[in-house]
Amino acid sequence: MFRYEFIKNALYAILIITPLFGIIGTVIVNNKMAFFSDALGHSALTGIAIGALLGVTNPTISMVCFGIIFALLLNKIKDIKVTSRDTIISVFSSTALALGLVILSKNGNFSKFSNYLIGDILSIVPSEIIALLVIAIFVIVFWFLFFNKMFAISLNSSLAKSKNISVKLVENLFVVLVALIVMMSIRWVGILIINSLLILPAAASRNIARNIKEYHFYSILIALFSGIVGLIVSYMQGIATGPTIVLIASLIFFVTYFIRKKIGD
Amino acid sequence: MKRVWIICVMAVLTLLLGGCTINQPAEADDHLNIVTSFYPIYIATSNIIDGAENVSLQCLASPDVGCLHDYQLTVKDMITLETADIFVINGGGAESFLDKAVSAYPDLIVINASDEILEEFIHREEEEGLLEEHSHEDEENSHIWVSVSLYIEEVKNISKKLIEYNPENADLYASNTEAYISRLESLGNEMHQGLTSISKRNIVTFHEAFDYFAEEYDLNIVAVVEREPGTSPSASELAEIIDLVRANDVSAIFTEPQYSKSAAITIANETGVPVYELDPVVTGAFEKDAYEKAMRNNLDVLLEALGE
Repeated sequence: MFRYEFIKNALYAILIITPLFGIIGTVIVNNKMAFFSDALGHSALTGIAIGALLGVTNPTISMVCFGIIFALLLNKIKDIKVTSRDTIISVFSSTALALGLVILSKNGNFSKFSNYLIGDILSIVPSEIIALLVIAIFVIVFWFLFFNKMFAISLNSSLAKSKNISVKLVENLFVVLVALIVMMSIRWVGILIINSLLILPAAASRNIARNIKEYHFYSILIALFSGIVGLIVSYMQGIATGPTIVLIASLIFFVTYFIRKKIGD
Repeated sequence: MKRVWIICVMAVLTLLLGGCTINQPAEADDHLNIVTSFYPIYIATSNIIDGAENVSLQCLASPDVGCLHDYQLTVKDMITLETADIFVINGGGAESFLDKAVSAYPDLIVINASDEILEEFIHREEEEGLLEEHSHEDEENSHIWVSVSLYIEEVKNISKKLIEYNPENADLYASNTEAYISRLESLGNEMHQGLTSISKRNIVTFHEAFDYFAEEYDLNIVAVVEREPGTSPSASELAEIIDLVRANDVSAIFTEPQYSKSAAITIANETGVPVYELDPVVTGAFEKDAYEKAMRNNLDVLLEALGE
């Protein structure tokens, strides 16, 4: 199957995207942000819709801009004490989703955009892989600069404050980073399943990891493994690639879940 | 108390805004309101009724929708149909929402432009042994307007039925139709002459829109990119298409302006076969000569792609 150029391109993209998702996912799971990243994924639809309204052919730019604004907004309002945090996120998530659907289905032809729902990694071209690579380097640099601070915040944010860490700034930087990764890869992964790919590897890894190093390592490994196996299985079975990757990852989650239970007994 | 007021004001505003769009002025009884389902049928009908008085023409799907695969009726569409006297459709399954619309408005006169054309076409194919028997039974291909000669038949069908239902304008419709058909016939001749000389005939098209077109001009469609328009091919389908393209010496891959080109570009990158764009005349401006313009443009593209 690897005699085809498009399979090779998809493989390169998976080799870049999945480790990124694995590493970012660890922070999302630790900080209980799964619902936040889900809302962010859904907001991509509004980003696409704004792009369609402006008449641009490639909506990536409008998606990234909208995603960053949306992420910062969510991060700001989550501390408001009026209603609970998950309610607020849900309100924003539904609004963004509905707004996107309303605009895109205005003329009764939503089917044109259905590719964005389940992703289309087989159509990625080399220049887009390079764009992903740039994002990846960005993330790695951010990771080395801010990891200790983020870890301190996820353990105890008031303790982190007392150590002179600017909690708000680090959090904002992190959500912008997540927005960037989500929006840059949503065309390949799909709105419906992008959050699963962020959460599942880290959640599975958390089941079996004994320390923070193992947690990161297993998460990246599980993400990579699901990506590669998912691509091969989807090719052999003639099914959509993105959902297959997610299925493999959830299978691993259940396996690790029972391993943990066994160890626990 | 303040909140109650705000809610009341909002409720009244909603009613007023809603009322504006629904309450269209009552039309005089002798006025005929014709609605067409989508773009090519609109272009055909507008040529037939050109200059008729007391006749208005509307198009249900806006002209940027394209083929009506998976089209969903909006509230506005239902209102348009409510005020319509005659609904002109392509038929043959192109309007998948049709059953819903027809059952909602049982008095609406429906003109099926493909009436008898599809049946005859399939019958002829079967007699010539070109088709597997009954292979089209469950899902027929409705894109007959893309073939110029079958489009002419559709124009004749629509005109015949319009004359039947609106005899006051019979003379006008007949002379308009005659003029339009002679224009279309010269277009058809032009295309036949242009395309007899080409040497390469193996092509890949985007979806099954060009089957009748290819039949008319003796082109050989080796594969289609998307079997289900709007759904990208899976990895194994892509691999299959790529192998077919390589094995059959395909000269061009044709995308359609209404759909994403990404899968076609993937195939092109793999095989080195160039990508061109053919228009199945489902989107564009509401101009009387839109069909001829689009087809002449297609002819130029084909000559560039398949000529020497």
